[in-house]
Parts: sequence; structure tokens; C-alpha cells
Amino acid sequence: MIEFDEQQKRMVLKLVYYGPAMSGKTTNLLTLHDQLSLQGRGELMLLDTTEDRTIYFDLLPFFYVAPSGMKIKLKVYTVPGQVRHDATRKAVLQRADGVVFVADSQTAGMSINFESFDNLEKNLSMVGLSIEHIPLVIQFNKRDLTDIVAEEQIRSAWGPTGLPVLMASALKGWGVLETFKEVLGRTFDAVNARHALTSRFGVDKEDFLTTILTVADDV
Amino acid sequence: MIETATHIEFIIGTEKRLTDIISRAEIEPLLRSLIKAGPLSASVLDEAEQPLCRQGQDAPVPPSDEIRHNLLVEGEPKGALLITFAPDQVSAPEALALLTRDALQLIINNNLKRMLTTEVHTSVVQESYDQLVATNKQLMESEKKYRQLALSLEQQVAERTAELQKAYSRMLQQEKLAAVGGLAAGMAHEINNPNGFVRSNLVTCNRYFQKVHEMVNYYQLQIANNTPLMQLQQESDKKRRELKLDFVFADAPDLLAQSIAGSDRIARIVADLKSFSHVDESGAADADLNEELKRTLAVLAPQIPADAQIIQNLQPLPTFDCNPGLLSQSFFNVLQNALQSRSAGLVVTVASRSDDGGIKITISDNGCGIARENLPRLFEPFYTSKEVGSGTGMGLTIARDIITGAGGTLEITSTEHSGTTATILLPHGAGKR
Repeated sequence: MIEFDEQQKRMVLKLVYYGPAMSGKTTNLLTLHDQLSLQGRGELMLLDTTEDRTIYFDLLPFFYVAPSGMKIKLKVYTVPGQVRHDATRKAVLQRADGVVFVADSQTAGMSINFESFDNLEKNLSMVGLSIEHIPLVIQFNKRDLTDIVAEEQIRSAWGPTGLPVLMASALKGWGVLETFKEVLGRTFDAVNARHALTSRFGVDKEDFLTTILTVADDV
Repeated sequence: MIETATHIEFIIGTEKRLTDIISRAEIEPLLRSLIKAGPLSASVLDEAEQPLCRQGQDAPVPPSDEIRHNLLVEGEPKGALLITFAPDQVSAPEALALLTRDALQLIINNNLKRMLTTEVHTSVVQESYDQLVATNKQLMESEKKYRQLALSLEQQVAERTAELQKAYSRMLQQEKLAAVGGLAAGMAHEINNPNGFVRSNLVTCNRYFQKVHEMVNYYQLQIANNTPLMQLQQESDKKRRELKLDFVFADAPDLLAQSIAGSDRIARIVADLKSFSHVDESGAADADLNEELKRTLAVLAPQIPADAQIIQNLQPLPTFDCNPGLLSQSFFNVLQNALQSRSAGLVVTVASRSDDGGIKITISDNGCGIARENLPRLFEPFYTSKEVGSGTGMGLTIARDIITGAGGTLEITSTEHSGTTATILLPHGAGKR
């Protein structure tokens, strides 16, 4: 958690889109930016890139004000996927409240997915977080491509972990909102369990999700 | 990880105020230009509604209109742009206000991006630097460790070498003792033989002496009794025959001469042993290697089969400065092998000569030879083809070490079932050690 000021009734949460290079983390954020209403969010900030590769991070902020006056700001980050940017990844991962792991569905990407997942586990523990406890959602992206690993195979491989696994095509725009909703719901539950958002600050989960996930009219 | 370092708070997501992102100097030119377009005043207010920058008249004269636009940080209102103007003084005031707001918003967004980028960059560089420093420190430590290791390694090598040298000289000593033991058995026999007949002769001579003594006593008694001469003559002849004195007088000189010769033989054997082992000498000396070869053959004499033929072809040699005791030990080892190579019909040729290349000694036999596959292992310590208990496997190893130590070489050529030749080369001027 970035910030929690009980007196000011203000909380700043952090979600991180993690995963191997070129798996579509920034495209996820771009799609969220395009599909969700401007009402509940700020502008997407894309930091400088080289050849369309994220080298720092991207940031998409969301706001929510509960009827009780409790303000929740949500900052959604992506990390650079390339191996060489590990220091940046570690820095961005600090104080995360929830993580989406964006995997590449292509057959050739499987070993890189596992490497990246190992890296996530290592970096989480290095910033004092535990992969066992942090809300974590797996997204298998690029389902629109042809040379991809079958869904049953993915489910049988990841099923034993008990983690929610979602299929998506960020480029085509499907599965992205579902992934975001999943991680948002789980993150809310985790924060609620710790800080009693509903009972002490009158924040309703359904209202929180609905407000942030308001789909833009012109899509 | 280090979360306390203040320089990474942006990445973590800490909220920023408008005043953290833009400065008065940055927005003042923009507001100044705006005033030139007609408005009475223009201000940028922070979250607390305090003016961050203000241009135009201090107190706008009423009646005046005002336009207000929020300024966003990460999409959240964190300040405002406030413009006042006199009614109908400015054409399209709303458009002017929007233009200014967008320009300000652009500055804010770009500043924020730049700050975030700079910060990530700085933190990554810092982390990389820290890692480099840590790596460097580790490398220095391991270098130090390896240095110490290298130092102690040298010392350990020196210690182990000294130990090995000690063990080797102990082994050399044992091999010498074994050779002496083997020699002693042969020598014992050689010495026992003459000693045996010398003793037997002495025992006989002792008996002869008693007979002579008895005869002399007889004469003294008869003289004291005044026995008549005729009678004495007859009786003493009888006595003399009884004592077989004629035989005694004939035999005794032979026995004594034989004994003297036996004693001389023992003395010679002891002298050979002494000179072979060089017990009276120590260290280097000018040696006649032919003499050494002869002495070695002499002490090996008991081991030479009865029907064996030893051909000595020894040319005159210059003296060789060496440790003669050691060198004769190596001759002994090689010669012993030759003598054991065959039981009947053995012919051993010992040859020596000197030419410009140095002293060359060859010892050849017509014995069993060495199997081709065993040749490479000849000088290997503890390698032996002899039966267990009859050879230490150190003979040739030590022979070669001694000769190499004297600056020479020992080579062995052999054909199985037809014989072996050992060639010892000692260059002039070598040795002296």
C-alpha cells in the first residue's frame, strides 16, 4: 500500500502488471484506458520508450470516492519485461497490493513465462512481499494468435497453484476488463480484511468495482 | 530491499503536490503573456488555494468576471488556474483560459514524466553502482584469500617436498640395507668356508702339538732316568711310530700354509666389502670406475652361478669425481639383475671405455630379457617382475636416480628371451656432487 491516511480518509493502492517482455502489459493498460470511462480515472502516463519497449514503466491512475467520503486512489503500473531492467522491476514492485502476471500464450513463450514468474517470486520476496499472500491473477494473453498453447494444457499446468487464470487478447480488447476486475476484487478483499474498509469506512465492494469499471459510452 | 531511500518515493507512488512538480519560474512567463492578451490578473493556485504564481493587477477593480480551471496531477485536481478580466475587455476569454490551462497541464505532465524518469534512472544507476561496489569488494576479498592461499600453498609444497625427500632417503637407506642383507648371506658363506678349514686345521695342529709335547716329555723322562742310549733309541723309535710323528711333521706345514691362505682369503673378502661400501669414506672423491666395477663383481662373487662366464673388457678410464659408494651401489643393482637373468650358461659382459662424449659403461647378459610391455615400467618405483619377497622393485629406480644425480644417464635395452643391455653414460666433468 502506497499510503493510508485514516484522518484524511484517504488511501492510495497499487496494482502491478508483471510478466515477460512483449507479453502485452502496456497493451493491457492501453485497452483499460480506452474502454473505461474517463469519469473514474486519470490519463495514462506512458514513460519514454525505445522502439515501443517499456524501459521505465507506465502508470494509469483511478479514483473512487465512497458515499462515506473515503477516497481511494488506485495506481496501476506496468514493469519493463526485459531481463536487463530487473532493478526497475524491483523498484516498481515495492508496496504493491495486487499483481497481474501477463503471460505470453505462444508456444515459444512458455519457458520465458516460467523464468519471468520465478523472477516475480524472487523480486516480491526481495521487496518484502510474499507470492503466497499477495492477490495474484494470471492472464494468458495473445489468445488471438494461432501458434499458442491449448487452454486445457494451461489450466492443467496452473490449476494446482489455485491461482485464477484468465484468457485474453489485449490487442483485440477482450479478457482485459475481466482480468482487471478479478485482481481488483481480490485486492479489495485483501485490503478490507486488514483495514476494515467496509465496516469502518463504509466502502462497498460492489460500488467500488462498478465505479472504477464503468465502461466508457463511446466504446 | 532498501525502501528508506528517499530518492525512490516517486516510483513507489507517493502522492505529489502541485508545488513539487512545477515552479514559479516555469509558469511566470506564460501568465505574463496571458496578461498581455487582456485579462486583469492570472493566478495558479495550489491545493490550499494559495497562489503559486500571480500576474496582473493586485486587486482587480470590480466589476470583473473570473474563469477557473482545475489543474490535474495524475488525473486528480491538485490546483487551479484563476483568470479575472473586465467584462467585454477580452475577446473569447474562455478560449484563452482553456489554452492557458492546456499549456500548464502539458508542463505539469511533462515535468512529472521527467521527474519519474530521472528518478528511476538515478535509482537504477545507484543500485547498479552499489552492486558494482559490492562485487568489487567481494572480488578484493576473494583475491586476498587466494593470495594467502597461494602463499600458504608454496609453504605446503615446500613442506611436502621436504617430507618426500626424507621418505625417499629413508627408502634409499632401506634398499641399501636390503642389498647388504643379500650380500651378507653370500659373504657369510664365503667367509665360513675358509674359516671352517682354518679351524679344522687348527684343531688338528693342536692335536699334533700335544703329540710333539708327549714325545719331548718322554725324552726328558728317559734322560732323567739315565736310560742306556741303545735302549732309548729302540724305545723312542717305537714311541715315535706310535705317535705317527713322521706324518705329523709332514702334514703340519701344509695345514698351516693352508690356514694362512684361508685367513688371507677372509681378509680379502672383508677388504672388498669395505671398499665396495666405502664405509671409510664420505662424500665425493676421484674414483676409478673400473676399480669400482671390479670390487662390485668381487662382492657379488658368491652370487655368480658356477658355470657362468664373466667377461671383463675394461679400458683405462680417467678418474671420475663422484660419490663412489653411491655409484658402486648403482653398479651393484644393475649387475645383480644381470647375474639373476639366467641360471645355466650365463654370460655377462662388463665393458667400459672413455671417449670425447664421456665414460661409457655397458653391462650385457644373455638372460631372459624383459617383455616389451614391461619395458616402460622398468624405472617405476616398486615395480618388480621377481617373486614376492625376493625383490623390492627399487633396484633400477635407485640406480637411475644415483646416475642421474651424478649427471649421467642409464638406459636399458632388452629383447625377451635373448638378453638385456644396460648402458651408463657419464659425461666428462659431470658428477662432483
